[in-house]
Amino acid sequence: MAATLCSRLFPKSGWLPLSQSVRHGSKAVTRHRKPVHFLKQKLMAVTEYIPPTPAAPPAALAPRVRKTEEESALAVLLRKDLENLFKECKMIAVVQNNAINAEDLMVLKHKLNRHNISVKFFPNQVTRSFLSNSIYSNLLPLFVGQTVIFVSKEPKVKEMLQALKHSPQMVLLGACIENTLLSYQGILSYSRLPSMTTIQGEIVGGLTMMTSRTVSMLRHHPAHLSALLQQYVKQQGSGDSTNAVTDKDTSTIQEAAA
Amino acid sequence: MFSVLQRAFLGFVRTPSQPDVLHNHLKLLSAGLRTYEVPPDYSDVVLPDKPKLKFMEKVPNLKQARKEMKKLRDIQGPAKSTNTFSDGQYGIVALGGGYLHWGHMEMMRLTINRRMDPSRTFAVWRIAAPYKPVTRKGLGQRMGGGKGAIDHYVTPVKCGRLVVEVGGRVELGEVEAVLKEVAKKLPFPAKVVSRESLAELYEEQDKRAASNQNPWTFQRVARSNMLGIRKVLSPFDMHNHGRYAGKFFNPRRV
Repeated sequence: MAATLCSRLFPKSGWLPLSQSVRHGSKAVTRHRKPVHFLKQKLMAVTEYIPPTPAAPPAALAPRVRKTEEESALAVLLRKDLENLFKECKMIAVVQNNAINAEDLMVLKHKLNRHNISVKFFPNQVTRSFLSNSIYSNLLPLFVGQTVIFVSKEPKVKEMLQALKHSPQMVLLGACIENTLLSYQGILSYSRLPSMTTIQGEIVGGLTMMTSRTVSMLRHHPAHLSALLQQYVKQQGSGDSTNAVTDKDTSTIQEAAA
Repeated sequence: MFSVLQRAFLGFVRTPSQPDVLHNHLKLLSAGLRTYEVPPDYSDVVLPDKPKLKFMEKVPNLKQARKEMKKLRDIQGPAKSTNTFSDGQYGIVALGGGYLHWGHMEMMRLTINRRMDPSRTFAVWRIAAPYKPVTRKGLGQRMGGGKGAIDHYVTPVKCGRLVVEVGGRVELGEVEAVLKEVAKKLPFPAKVVSRESLAELYEEQDKRAASNQNPWTFQRVARSNMLGIRKVLSPFDMHNHGRYAGKFFNPRRV
C-alpha cells in the first residue's frame, strides 16, 4: 500500500530517498579487535597525526658572532721577524712555490746558501698584515697562494737566477732590491748590469785616460803641438765666419810670437 | 676523609725529629652550606577514619536478581564520569575498557592495604562493587533452554576511568611500586598517574589536536562524508574520531 502510494507521489526518475534506513541488530563488537573495513583503514591512514615541524633552534637563528680575532703570539713573532728581514736585507725576492718536493727544495737551499741567500717561509696572513701597514704595500699582490721569500743582505740577483734556472717549480714573481720594486723583466735587466766595482773602475779608467792623453800630448814636441793647433784653427775657420776667426787667430799668434 | 687528608698532608711535612707535634696542633676546619629541598606541604591533608580500602561484596544485595543483556556500551568509548581525582593524589587510570571481577578487587585491596602505611596514607575505591550480572550455562548442559543462570557479577570500566586513588602524606615514589604492581594485573591497560600527570596527559592530547599539521582530519572527512565514507563509519566513530575501537583506545590518534 505504502509502496504504491510512494510510487504515485514520487515519479521514479531522479528520486532520492529522503531518509536512509539504519540497520539494527548487529552489535558493536568490543571485546576483541574487529577487522577494520578497508576504506576505514585508508581513512585512518590518511588522517594520521602529523606533528608540526620543530622550530629552528635559537642558535641557528641568531647571527653568527665572529670572535674578535686576537692575533696569536706566533703571528706577532713572525711579523717581527719579517720586519727585521725587510729592514736588514737589500734583496727580497718573492717566488711562487709550485709544489716543489723536499729534495729539490733542499738542493735549491744549498745552492742559494752558497751565496748567503736564505729561503724563508711565512704565512701569507702574516706577510699581508705586515705589508699592508708598511711602505712595501705595493708588494701585496704578489703574495697570493704558495709564496716563498728569498732573502739576502747583498743584492745577488745573478746568483739567485742561476740557482732558480734548475728548479722550474719555483717561479720568480718579483723582487724588492735596494728599496726598488722590480718585476721579473726588471730583475733580468738588473742582473745584466755589471757590478759596482767594474763600473767604478771604468769611470776611473776613463778619467785617467783623458788626463794621460793630455799629458802625452803635452810631452810631444811643441812644433807638433803648434801644428795641431793650427790645424784646429783652420778647421774652425773653414766652418763659419772664417775672416773673423782668422783675424783673431793671427792676432793671437802675433802676440804669442811677440 | 679529613683524617686521610691529614695523613697525606703530614706525610710530606713530618720528619723523624718532630714526631706528631704538627699532628696535635693541626686542625682542619671545614664549613659548608647545603640547601635541602623544601618538603611538600601536607598541612591540608586530612586522613579518613578508615584509611584502608574497604571490602567489596562479591554479589550485590538484591531482592530479585535479574539477568541482563550484555550492554557492551558500558565498556566502550571514553569514561564521561569518574575521570578526575576526587581526594587522593595518585591513582590508577584505565587506558581501555573492561570488566573488573571481584577477584581483581580483592587483589587490589589486599596488595595495597598490605603495603601502605595507614598512619599517613589512605586509599579509596573509585569503582562500585560488582553489579553487572554475567550469565553462564552450566557445565555439560545442552544448548537451548533459554538464558543461563547468573554466574558472577562484574564492574564495567571505561577508558580513562580512575580505579583506585591513594593519598595522604606520601610522595609518588613511595606508592608507585605498589600501584604499578597492581595496575599490570588488571584486565585492561592501566597506568599509574598523579593529579599533575593526569592533567598533563589531557593537556598534551589537546595540544596534539591543536598542533596537528594534517589538513585531513577524521572529523572533517567523516562529517562531510567524503567519498561516501560514512558507509563504513559508525555513529561511535562520529563521536570519537577513530580514537576508540570498541573498548580499545588508541592514544596516538588525535
